Amino acid sequence: MSVLARSVGNAFRNKIRTAAVVAVLAVAIGLALSMLVANQAVGAKVQELNASVGTTLTVNPAGGQGFEGGGEPLTTAEAETAASVANVTSVVGTKALRLQTATTDSTTGTGQQTGPGGGFGPGGQQASVSTNLTAAVDAGTLGNRNNTSGTTGTTGTQPARTLPITATGIGAEVDSTGKALDITSGTGLGDYTTSEAKALVGTSLAEKNSLTVGSTFTIQDKTFTVAGIFDAGTTFGNNAVYVTLPEAQTLAETPDELSTMIVTVNSMENVDSTKTAVQAALGTDKADVTQGQRNLETAVSSLDSVKNISLIAFIAALATAGIIILLIMVMLVRERRREIGVLKAIGARNRTIGLQFVLESLVLVALGSVVGAVIASLASGGIASALISSNTTTTAATTTQRGGGLAGAMPNGAVPGGGMPGGGQGGPFGGASQLLTSVTASVSPGVLAAGIAAVFAVAIIGALVPALLTARIRPIEVLRGE
Amino acid sequence: MIVVKDLVRQFKSGDRTIKPVNGVSFELEKGSLASIVGKSGSGKSTLLSLLGALDKPTSGDVVVDGVSLAGLPDGKLTEYRRRDIGFVFQQFNLIPNLSAVDNVMLPMEFAGVRKAARLQRAKELLEQVQLDPEKHSRRTNRLSGGEQQRVAIARALANEPKLILADEPTGNLDEQTGEHIIELLSSLSRDHNTTILVVTHDRSLAQKTERCFRLQQGRLTEEVRTGSRR
Repeated sequence: MSVLARSVGNAFRNKIRTAAVVAVLAVAIGLALSMLVANQAVGAKVQELNASVGTTLTVNPAGGQGFEGGGEPLTTAEAETAASVANVTSVVGTKALRLQTATTDSTTGTGQQTGPGGGFGPGGQQASVSTNLTAAVDAGTLGNRNNTSGTTGTTGTQPARTLPITATGIGAEVDSTGKALDITSGTGLGDYTTSEAKALVGTSLAEKNSLTVGSTFTIQDKTFTVAGIFDAGTTFGNNAVYVTLPEAQTLAETPDELSTMIVTVNSMENVDSTKTAVQAALGTDKADVTQGQRNLETAVSSLDSVKNISLIAFIAALATAGIIILLIMVMLVRERRREIGVLKAIGARNRTIGLQFVLESLVLVALGSVVGAVIASLASGGIASALISSNTTTTAATTTQRGGGLAGAMPNGAVPGGGMPGGGQGGPFGGASQLLTSVTASVSPGVLAAGIAAVFAVAIIGALVPALLTARIRPIEVLRGE
Repeated sequence: MIVVKDLVRQFKSGDRTIKPVNGVSFELEKGSLASIVGKSGSGKSTLLSLLGALDKPTSGDVVVDGVSLAGLPDGKLTEYRRRDIGFVFQQFNLIPNLSAVDNVMLPMEFAGVRKAARLQRAKELLEQVQLDPEKHSRRTNRLSGGEQQRVAIARALANEPKLILADEPTGNLDEQTGEHIIELLSSLSRDHNTTILVVTHDRSLAQKTERCFRLQQGRLTEEVRTGSRR
């Protein structure tokens, strides 16, 4: 019989006690694994949020955003100024256009949208750039209200309207919020700093107009080839076209003008100071600098605290498992002093006896881990949810309040250059609390393996102390007891 | 050959110094069967533990086949116990959740004997001590006292030791079983040329050994015997 076989046999000497020990260990290990799963899930979410909006600033003309407001347009010179600010890693300019279907009849209200200076954007956006594309979104009640100047609340019959399509010139392969474009077919536009008659089309717009990669369409009578089709994830976002920034500026006949700038900062720690520096460099009368990260700061902060709590709980549960092992093995060593003495008397080395006790503890931990893993797979989702909900009760209230206020200031879906995620979901920032509850805690084999490895490591440490105690038992004690 | 030279073991008990073994010297020829008798508390078990390297003497030495135990490090003493000594205890001290054959295999496992070889030898030894083959795989806590002592003797023989130290081997057994055990030890001494030293307070048992020593107040005297067992 080998040391391992003897250890397994010893682990089952007292079946009732073994069952009790395994049950207690299983609870501790199950809790530890659940906390680890929650920690990993929340950590991944935090990373995702930080990666998406964490280090970007959005610069709009002072007094204007997208097609709303007024003021002076941003210029490429100001983009260079922003790029020269410390900690700024990149500045991507965008130029927003409204594409109006060329076949639109007189009831579409173009008369309201054309004219010097335009009524829809800062810096005199080209109000009506014609296209042969048809919008993928029906006007509906909201579209008719939003496109009717001064008639809000009118209950009379309104003519059916065709919604414009948003075309955005971009200086890099990112959307108007600075997020990388998800191109589902075809390729990007290549060099975004040169004027080229290629475009990226949103999925729903492409479907509506039967466009595929290589198809052509016109803007201002100029033929564009579809280089790729992207998925923005929202109906509004997919009713859009992206072209290179110089191409959009040419179409708008405003070569140096920008609608927005997406400024990327080198780290989250520098976002606040860089925002202040960019604002100072551009001037408060020239530009409004907003921080996308601010909108989700509370959400990320809450998730961070949940992550910390789950990490502490994981360590505590792990330590508890270690202490349980330590106490159980100390008890077993004391109980088997005589047997240890006999083993030494017949020639067992200290390390052989120590190894036997460590292996016995690992058998108990292995059993506890199996049951604990089952507990974790059943309970980790609930525990993660409970942790998140208990930490977001106050946060959600704050976030909702903040989100509601901002939502009132900026109508849904009307801020293509605003860079505010969550638009069209009950307010641009109303999604923050939803983000907290969208964390999915699933038990992945990798996390489970890492957790169980940690449990085994702690168990070995816990079992080493009693194993070392066996070395101090002198075999003479056996004969003295005779 | 076992040579014991002026062996002393003393303990402190409060202000008093106790010497359960006080200047003990004797020699045992290889293959001899000897006994040490004495009253309870006379120091018999202490002397046995010194001979078996379970305890270290205050002074003096034990020399086994020319090797002195004095000054050997713990690791070497463990090796000595494993290779040269076989213990038989009054309480048997078998591992209760292991079978008879597993108990006998233990010292061989510690000595690094391969599994197949130790299994075969364990079975042979159990047959030698006349344990019913049906009971070889039985847990030792389900064997009778006599059977357990047979297993203990088989375990003591496992690594073919030079010296078997038996501490009251019949103390927990009835008279008839005790006689069987002492006959068994006697035959083992003859057949294996193993030196056997039995500690007992049973004079009738001592009478059956070749040499008999009396331990009194820590000092050893040899009783003159009229005949030999052989």
